[in-house]
Amino acid sequence: MLETADLIVDLQQVTFTRGERTILNNVDIRIPRGKITGIMGPSGCGKTTLLRLIGAQLKPDSGRILVNGQDIPRLGREELFDARQHMGMLFQSGALFTDLNVFENVAFPLRVHTHLPEDMIRDIVLLKLQAVGLRGAINLMPDELSGGMKRRVALARAIALDPELMMYDEPFVGQDPISMGVLVRLIRLLNDALGVTSIVVSHDLSETASIADYLYVLGDGQVLGHGRPDELMNSENPRIRQFMQGEPDGPVPFHFPAGNYVDDLLQKERQP
Amino acid sequence: MSSILDRVAGLGRSGLGVVEAIGRSGIFLFQALAGRSRYGNGFSLLLKQLYSVGVLSLAIIIVSGIFIGMVLALQGYNILKDYGSEQAVGQMVALTLLRELGPVVTALLFAGRAGSALTAEIGLMKATEQLSSLEMIGVDPLKYIVAPRLWAGFIAMPLLAMIFCVVGIWGGAMVAVDWLGVYGGSYWGNMENSVQFGADVLNGLIKAVVFAVVVTWIAVFQGYDCDPTSEGISRATTRTVVYASLAVLGLDFILTALMF
Amino acid sequence: MRTRNLELTVGLFILAGLLALLILALRVSGLTLSPNGSTYTVYAHFDNVSGLTSRSKVTMAGVTIGQVKSITFDKNRYTGLVEMAINSDVNTLPSDSTASIVTAGLLGEKYIGISVGGDDMVLRDGDEIHDTQSALVLEELIGRFLLNTVSKDD
Repeated sequence: MLETADLIVDLQQVTFTRGERTILNNVDIRIPRGKITGIMGPSGCGKTTLLRLIGAQLKPDSGRILVNGQDIPRLGREELFDARQHMGMLFQSGALFTDLNVFENVAFPLRVHTHLPEDMIRDIVLLKLQAVGLRGAINLMPDELSGGMKRRVALARAIALDPELMMYDEPFVGQDPISMGVLVRLIRLLNDALGVTSIVVSHDLSETASIADYLYVLGDGQVLGHGRPDELMNSENPRIRQFMQGEPDGPVPFHFPAGNYVDDLLQKERQP
Repeated sequence: MSSILDRVAGLGRSGLGVVEAIGRSGIFLFQALAGRSRYGNGFSLLLKQLYSVGVLSLAIIIVSGIFIGMVLALQGYNILKDYGSEQAVGQMVALTLLRELGPVVTALLFAGRAGSALTAEIGLMKATEQLSSLEMIGVDPLKYIVAPRLWAGFIAMPLLAMIFCVVGIWGGAMVAVDWLGVYGGSYWGNMENSVQFGADVLNGLIKAVVFAVVVTWIAVFQGYDCDPTSEGISRATTRTVVYASLAVLGLDFILTALMF
Repeated sequence: MRTRNLELTVGLFILAGLLALLILALRVSGLTLSPNGSTYTVYAHFDNVSGLTSRSKVTMAGVTIGQVKSITFDKNRYTGLVEMAINSDVNTLPSDSTASIVTAGLLGEKYIGISVGGDDMVLRDGDEIHDTQSALVLEELIGRFLLNTVSKDD
């Protein structure tokens, strides 16, 4: 079902703790090349941490993280710099550099990693902006853009170097239906037309399930389940069911742990 | 009983937290300053920061300097009048400014204006994930964002302190000579005789440099280390101003004891 | 264009700061750029040098002609030995000139005033001024005043 030969990202027994909390506990995650993989789960389950581990912003406590065969946490600075050329990340808020205009933002990775002449850089920037539909905004400053436009420019910047791997951190949060549609279309387009492998981290079930070829559901620092979207929809696992069906109560309880309800009420009466 | 123990434990924890923070800030400083940035024209980045940290602080420094110089001359005259030593007001203004008020007040004003701006700017970059973006693209934010701001502070603040002293002395001259009638020759002559370049001007400059390093370091670190939320940023900004001010005043005492 | 303006303003700012330093050095602290080599050394012993410090002025007729270089304690004569650096072009000081430690104003600093003598021989490098008048100490003054008052009452 999953060809282990062609994995672009392979997390092997990765554990990550922050302080006293274990965010990821001995997880194994395999991202197939050329597909759109969704990583889902309730808030705080470690989805964003996962992206940061793959991008080598964080180091795992134990385990291996192989990206294109390279053990990312153990790479030296030079190798990491080269490896980053092949990864693009779209942050939740876009994260455009506020002191540069749209053109400079998109051109930034090109200037960092290549020594291309100015007119070539300009051509590439125009190309990327055209792909996201914002070529006309080329001279605007980030604070003159709407939220959705910011995200699209950030996308153009993320694909400036034609990375093999694109990571999307909560791309659907707070978007109106039109922006949502645009983004979904772009993710799909990049994947189909350019063969870019995509990892989409989200808790938006319907959108993610609609474009993902493969899904991982995380919870409590573990992989609760993985498979194709239709398989997971019909899963027997109660936790996956709760998430996929959007049930308010189940393995993730509705009530925050509290004492006895009657006791609380009675205590209130006794206090003046 | 156990609450006292809890409090002590809490104190110990925050004490350890402070030590950890100091350690983090030391590593932070070292990593930012050591080595060169892989990308980015370091000079033009520095230039931009010098503008925003130095040039834009000129207004408050000059205005404060003039006023403080004027007040010094006014108060000094009133006090010295009783001893028949009004002619000494020139050297009083100059020595006070050069040895103490110049470096200290400049540092405090700098911490409030430029320091808090630096903290807020870097904190905001952290909160909007710009620092993470830089990392993902392969640029070290410590070298690209933090280092130019550090160097700009180290260079700009001592210059501002010198400007502060000069406009202060000039403001004092305006009050003493033009208004209070102290003989111009005495004002400048006595000053020139009693102010020593090595002991006074140079020591004041050394103080200014030390303060510049401490204030800029604190400002930049608080921004980098803050909680990436809006309260986190505002708390960090407050911390910058408070810690930097306390550090400056404390160091001033130590340096004064050592130098004078 | 914007960078040009930026560079200009920052350059001006740095120049202003350095200029301030220069002003402080030259005008405010009187740092002179002339070499210190054109002086000659003259010594003087004082019973009491209180208040005099190195770099204090040495004047004659109110004009500064030199500087105190160092003050040390003479173990043999139990006096303060003051080493003065006099400008080389003031080389006609008679060797019986007087050196007194005087105060500038009530709270002022101490400096050395040299009064001219009448001798034909002049002071040369390494010579000593023998006629000296020590600093006035406030307590002695008060004591003398009280003594005078008491003796007047008799």
